[in-house]
Formats: sequence, C-alpha cells, structure tokens
Amino acid sequence: MNWMIAAPEIFYFAAALWFLMLSFFSKPDARREHLSSLLLASLGVLVCLASVGSQGYIFIQAFTADIFSQVFKVLLSLGLFLIIALCGNLPDVGERRIQDFYFLLFTCTLAMMLLVSAGHLLSIFVSLEVSSYSLYILVSLRKNQDFGLEAGIKYFLVGTFASGVMLFGMALLYSSSGTTYLGDMARVLPGMIDQPVVVIGLVLTLGGFFFKLAVFPFHFWAPDAYQGASNQVAAYIATVSKVAAVAVIARVVAYAGQESTYFVHVLVILSVASMTVGNLAAIAQKDLKRLLAFSTIAHSGYILIGILALNPTGWSGTIFYALALLAMKFTAFLVVVELAPEGQNLQINDLAGLHRRSPLLALALMVSLFSLAGIPPTIGFTGKFLVFVAAIERGYIALVIIAMINVVISLYYYLLVIRAAYLLEPSIELPALKPSMPIKLLAGISTGVIVAAGFFPYPLIRVAQAAAQVLLVGR
Amino acid sequence: MIVPLSHALILAAILFGLGVFCAVARRNLIMIVLGIEIMLNSASIAFVAAALRWQNLEGQTFVLFILAVAATEVSVGLAIIVYAFKRTGSFDPGNYSMLK
Repeated sequence: MNWMIAAPEIFYFAAALWFLMLSFFSKPDARREHLSSLLLASLGVLVCLASVGSQGYIFIQAFTADIFSQVFKVLLSLGLFLIIALCGNLPDVGERRIQDFYFLLFTCTLAMMLLVSAGHLLSIFVSLEVSSYSLYILVSLRKNQDFGLEAGIKYFLVGTFASGVMLFGMALLYSSSGTTYLGDMARVLPGMIDQPVVVIGLVLTLGGFFFKLAVFPFHFWAPDAYQGASNQVAAYIATVSKVAAVAVIARVVAYAGQESTYFVHVLVILSVASMTVGNLAAIAQKDLKRLLAFSTIAHSGYILIGILALNPTGWSGTIFYALALLAMKFTAFLVVVELAPEGQNLQINDLAGLHRRSPLLALALMVSLFSLAGIPPTIGFTGKFLVFVAAIERGYIALVIIAMINVVISLYYYLLVIRAAYLLEPSIELPALKPSMPIKLLAGISTGVIVAAGFFPYPLIRVAQAAAQVLLVGR
Repeated sequence: MIVPLSHALILAAILFGLGVFCAVARRNLIMIVLGIEIMLNSASIAFVAAALRWQNLEGQTFVLFILAVAATEVSVGLAIIVYAFKRTGSFDPGNYSMLK
C-alpha cells in the first residue's frame, strides 16, 4: 500500500487532531488559534498542490486518487484557507468554542477530501456523514442561540432524512447489481439501467448528494441554515461544501448513469425546478444571506445541466463551474463578513452607501454579483457558457432556453443588491469602513481573479479538461 | 435461501415508507428523529437480504457502519433537541419559525 497518495488527508487529519488536543489541554486564545489554523491551512494548500499528480488506490480501491480527485482537493484546501482568512474576527462563536470551531472545520474538509476520492459506496456514505455532522454542529455553534439552534435543528432534520433516503437508494443499487464499487457499477449498471429498481435506486442515492448541493426537493434547509449560521460558516457551506458535492455527483453520474433516458429526464426536471424555484424565491428576499442561499439553489440547477449532458464538454464545464462558484461566492461572503463586524445578519438595505464607506468592498460585491449573474467578462459567464454549450451539443435546446430565461430573472435581484450598494443613501450617516490590509488584499485578488479568468479562461479550462478525462475512462 | 429477495425488499420498502411518513407527518421532534431511524433500519434490512442473495459480505459490513452512524445521529440529534427543549419547553417543530 502506498500511503503517500493520501498525503492531503493525512495532513488534514493531523491538523484536526491538533485542534482536538488543544481543546482538551489548553486555554482558548482566539488570536493564537486563528494564526495556527491559517498556517495549517496554507500548508494544506501546499500539500494538496504537491500531490496533484499522485495516482493510485488504497483500501482495495475504496480510496482512489486520480487527477479528478486531486484537482478537487486543491479547490477544497484553497476554499478552507480563504474561509479561515475571514475568521480573524469571530464575534459569533464564543471564545470557549473557538478550538472546537477550527477542529470541526478541518474535520469537515478532511471528510470532503475523502468524499471526492471515494470509489466505494461505503466510503462515500461514511465521508458524507462525517462532513454533514461537522456542519450540523458548526451551524448550531452560533452565539445568538435562537438563530443557531433553529438553523441547526432544521439542517439536522433535513440532512438526516436525506441520508436515510440515500442509504435506501444504495441498498437498492446493491441488491440489484451485487456490487458496491463505483468502478464495477460502471460495468454492470449500463446493461440493467432500464429496470425500475435501478433507476429508483440511482435517483434515491443521488438524493443524498443533492441535499449537499441544495437541489430542488432537498433545498429547504439552505436558506434557514445560511441565515441562522454565523457568516463564516455560511460562507463555508456556500463554497467548500458545494465544491465537494459537485465532485461526488459528477463522478457517480458519470460512472453509473450512462445512456438512460429516464434517468436524464429526472435530472432535467430537477435542474429546471431548482433554478426556477431558486431564482423566483430570491426575488422576494430581504436578508442578504438568504438571497445568496436561493442564488446557490439556482446555481445548483445550472451545474446539473453540465452533469446531465454526460459528455466531456459537460464534465469539464462542471468542474470549471465549481471553481467559478468558489471564487464568486467567496467574494460575496467576504463583503458580508466585513460589513457585519458584530456578526449580525445583513439586510439588503444595510448596504446603502457602501460605495462611499468602502469603494473596494463595493466593487468586489458588484463584480462577484455580476459574475454570479453571468455577465461577461467574468468567470461566471465562462462557466455558464461551457455548460450551456455542452447541453446544446446533446440537443437539449429547450433546457438551455429555460436556463437563459432564468439568468435574466436572476439579473433582477442581483441588480437590486447592487443598486442598494451604489445608489441608495443611508438614512443616518455611517462611518467609513476600514478593512484590514490582508482583507483588502484578499478582496482585490479575488475580484481580479474573477475578471482575469473571464478574459483568459484557457489555463483553467485545460485543467478542467484534464480532470474530466478521468470520468471518461470510467465508461 | 428460503425467503426470496423480493419479499425482503418489499418489507424494507414498507418500513421505509412508514419511516418517511413518521418523519414527515409527526409534529414532535423526537418522533421525527425516530422516523429517520426507521428509514436507516429499513436500508439495513435491504442490505442484509442483498448480501445473502449475492453471497458476499459487503452488505453486512454496510450494516455495521449504519449502526455506528445511527448512534451518531441519536447523540448529535438528541443533544440539539434536548437543548432546544430546555430553551423553549416544547418539542413542537412549529415553534421554530423565526428564520424567514
């Protein structure tokens, strides 16, 4: 066995253990904990970058390292680093809980890395549960207990319900195919994909992953969890957790669900439903985090388009979209975190006068929202373009037209937010915001990346294409 | 095997439906968690039956892991619910409607 291919997981496991030990044996110190977690997270990014090329199996193929999983591990580690960079001021997590907070963040990232590498139903199930349970507790940790508790209860109930559904789907898949390895399923399932038991099993199994991505029938938790969780945890759920969900759905669909018209129809319906529901519900929102939650639901609909195209263009588009989502959502949440130094929830009207209080943050917010809406030249436009092209290649014209209409609807509420930031005047004069130097740098870099990747997407697209090759080998 | 696989799957499906009904229809947090627990156990039954059908141990292994996850679910879930009960004095999920 070659343990080195699991170097990122071993590193993050050690980091999580370090915070667990700290919480047992040492007094919490917010600043020290933040610096050490920042150091560990940046080392983690380096470890993931160093192991990008590693390939192989351990645990009898239950853990598979290939270029697909390693690219996603780099994204996950980058996401964790960025989120921890926002945690310099954690007003919403009590001082006493700060070590547990970082312990859970690292555990959750570890579980997601195992998830993108999982090649066996059992490893998918266990790693998905570990990441979900860390998030249930992270959401409930909010100091404002009424919010945190309610969000925690709702997230927990919907989450365990979804994992029950997923488990039953896995049982059906196993009972009809006799195998639990994804690689074996890719060989066995195409011959029996038209049996109802197999389609039901596949759809139920995907239900558990759709919960993580907040796709239509399993989206109810998202607005409440975003609004109830502290801003940093909401940012983590919106970025890192989504990236992992995209990876596992792309892999399972590519391996198990080829060339079944029933199955593709189900995915088309879910995709249309989640983007329409997300966009229409977002229009009515007053709370900024809730609006971002509904926009996430809409985006999971767009991502599904790339996945259900079931061709290499679609997969590379999906991978690119995951990266784009990480950049866009992070920038938007960076502004949310900076505007709420006491950790309160922001209403959209609270943004009034932002362009004078802090021009940089206002610009970052505008660029990230334009990118979320898919206006060129931003990374969000390129992502949408790639998945739509993939769907047109397969002849799903109607689906793409519905998606285009949805993009126009989404423009309306993104523009409402931008209008609040640029055109509305605050009722009372608010002091100018003074973001710290690292935050300014971070906002500048992420805004720059969003625009630059809109102009020059080719290096990133090439990485996505290389990663998508793995899914092609699966057939 | 005396009992055919389809019978075991039907039993599992009935249990799963009962669990879903319990989780969706009951207005009590503890009963909802109990319903979800029944869903997990119905999956366990299907796994054990399928393991017999295919004569390999993977289904049995799965069940061991399901037991562990179900224990986690109860410990985390009951911790949250008991805390919620202490704060609000009720198990009614309808009381939690502040976020909107």
